[in-house]
Amino acid sequence: MANEIKLDPRLLAEFIKLNKNILDAPNLAQSLEEIDLEVTPHEVVYSEGKIRLLHFNPLVAKQIKTPLVIAYALVNRFHILDINQKKSWVRNLLNQGIDVYLIDWGTPTQINRHEGFDDYVNGYMDNIIDFVRKESSSQKVSLQGYCTGGTLSTVYSALHPDKVQNLILTAPVIDGRRDSTVVSNLAKHMDVDKLVDTLGNMPPELMYYVFSILKPFEQGFEKYLNFFKNIHDKEYVENFIRVEKWVSDTPPIPGELYRQWIKDVYQENLLINNNMYVGGKQVSLKNIAMPLLTQVAVGDHLVSPECSMPIHYAVSSQDKTLKIYPTGHVGMIASSFSQKKVLPEFSQWLTERSEK
Amino acid sequence: MSLPQDVKNSLANYKHNSLFWTDLLYLMSNRQQSLAATGPFRKFAINVKNLSTETIEMNEDMTEFNTRLSAYYKQLTDTWNEAQKEYSRKVPELPNDSEHMEASKRVWIDIYENYFTRLFDSADFAENFGKLVTSELEIAKHWNNMASTLLESANMPTKKEMDEVYKELHSLRKRVAKLEKIANKGGT
Repeated sequence: MANEIKLDPRLLAEFIKLNKNILDAPNLAQSLEEIDLEVTPHEVVYSEGKIRLLHFNPLVAKQIKTPLVIAYALVNRFHILDINQKKSWVRNLLNQGIDVYLIDWGTPTQINRHEGFDDYVNGYMDNIIDFVRKESSSQKVSLQGYCTGGTLSTVYSALHPDKVQNLILTAPVIDGRRDSTVVSNLAKHMDVDKLVDTLGNMPPELMYYVFSILKPFEQGFEKYLNFFKNIHDKEYVENFIRVEKWVSDTPPIPGELYRQWIKDVYQENLLINNNMYVGGKQVSLKNIAMPLLTQVAVGDHLVSPECSMPIHYAVSSQDKTLKIYPTGHVGMIASSFSQKKVLPEFSQWLTERSEK
Repeated sequence: MSLPQDVKNSLANYKHNSLFWTDLLYLMSNRQQSLAATGPFRKFAINVKNLSTETIEMNEDMTEFNTRLSAYYKQLTDTWNEAQKEYSRKVPELPNDSEHMEASKRVWIDIYENYFTRLFDSADFAENFGKLVTSELEIAKHWNNMASTLLESANMPTKKEMDEVYKELHSLRKRVAKLEKIANKGGT
C-alpha cells in the first residue's frame, strides 16, 4: 500500500510497556492517605489557634545555641522542608547541630478570615519567637522565611529587630512590581476586595489553578508520564507520591492577610517603598540591620529573582550576602542540589553568626 | 467587553416583567399565603420574592460570565492551534524511531510550554481571567444571598451574621492578647 504508515516496532513495544506500567501502578504505589509526611522526630511545643510550633529533636551532640525559627510559606504546608530523608532541609540543619523550630500555619477556616498581617506578624510570630527565646534562654533567634514566609519574616524583622539575630530570606516576595511571574501577572489583575468580601478566605481551588498553569505541560503531562515509566523504581515512586501529597495540600489563605498581601506587595508595591503599615506601624526596611542572607533561584517561576533581590539593597545591614542559585523555587529547598550546595552555604553562614 | 445594547434592553424588559408579575402575584395571593403558611414557612412565603429577584439578577451575571468564559477558552484554543502549527512544521525534521522519541516529546513539550507561558504572562489573559473570576464572584454573591434567605426563613444564622460573630471573636481575641501582654509586664 502506498500510504502505509511506517512505525518503528520498538515504539509500539514502548507503548505496550507503558500501558502495562499503568495497570501495575495501583499495586506498586501507596495512596496519599497512607503517607505520613511528618517523619523527622519532633515535639509540638506551642500552639495557638490552628498554628503549631514544631521543635525538632537534635541529631548530633554538639549544638549551636542560637535557635533557628523557620517561617514556611502560606501557600501549601511546611512538609516540603522534610519531604524525605535524602532531601530534607530540616534534617540537614539538624545534622549541622542547628536547633530547629518550624512554624506550621495550619489550615485556616472561615473563622480565621479576619486575620491579617498584624495577627500573623505581631500576634502569632511574635508569640512564637518570645516562646523560643524563653525556652532556649536566648536573647535573640535566627529567623528564616521561605516565599511568603519570607515576606512575613521581613515585616517581622523590621518591626521587632531587637529579637532577630540573623535573618535568612529564601525566595521572599518583596518587590511585586518587578516580579515577572504568572502569579504576579494574575495578582495584579485581581479584584481582591470582591474576592475577600464574597468568599472570606482565598480558596485553595483558585490557588491550585494558578499553580497548574505555571508549567502546564511539564507538570500536567510529562511528570505523570515519567511516574508511570518509573513505576518499578521504589524510591522514585515513594518520592513522587510524597511530593504529590504535599502539592495537593493547599490550605486557604485568611482573607484579610490575602487582601493586604496582594494589594500592598503586588498591586501597590508598598513594602519595598517602606509604605506598608502593619498594626498601625510603618514597615521600614531600614530597621533591618541584623546580618542578612538572601537566597534566590534563577529558574524560580513562582517568585522571580528580580522580586526577591531588592531586599538586599533596601536594608541597612552592613553584613549582608546575596546568593543566586541555578535551580528553581522548590529545587532550592528540596533537591540533591540543595543538599550539596544551598544547605552547606546556609549552615556555614548561620554558624559563623550564631552563639555557640 | 460589555453586552450589546439590544441584549441589555431585552434583559431589562425580562427583569421588569418578571418582577412585575412576581410582585402582583405576591400581592394577589398574600392573604391566602398568610392563611396557609405558619411557622418558618410564613417567613419563607414573605421572603420568596428575594429568591426570584436574585435568580433574575444572577441570570444577567451569567451572561457576563459566559462571555468571559468564551473569551478564556478562545485564548486557550488559539494558543493551542498556534503551538500545534509550529509543532507540525517541526515534525518532518524529527526522526520516527524509539531512540528519538524522548527528544520528539521534549520538542513537543517545549513548544507548547513556550506558547502557553507567553499567553499566561500576557496582560490580555490576566485581564480576562480577572474579569472571569469577578463575574463568578458576582454569581457567588447571589447564591449567598439566596442561601441567606433560606437560612433566615428557617430561623438559622445567615452567612452575614456568622461573619459578624467571627469579626467580634477576632477583635475580642486581639483585646485579650493585648491585655495579657500588659498583665504579664505588670503594667497598667
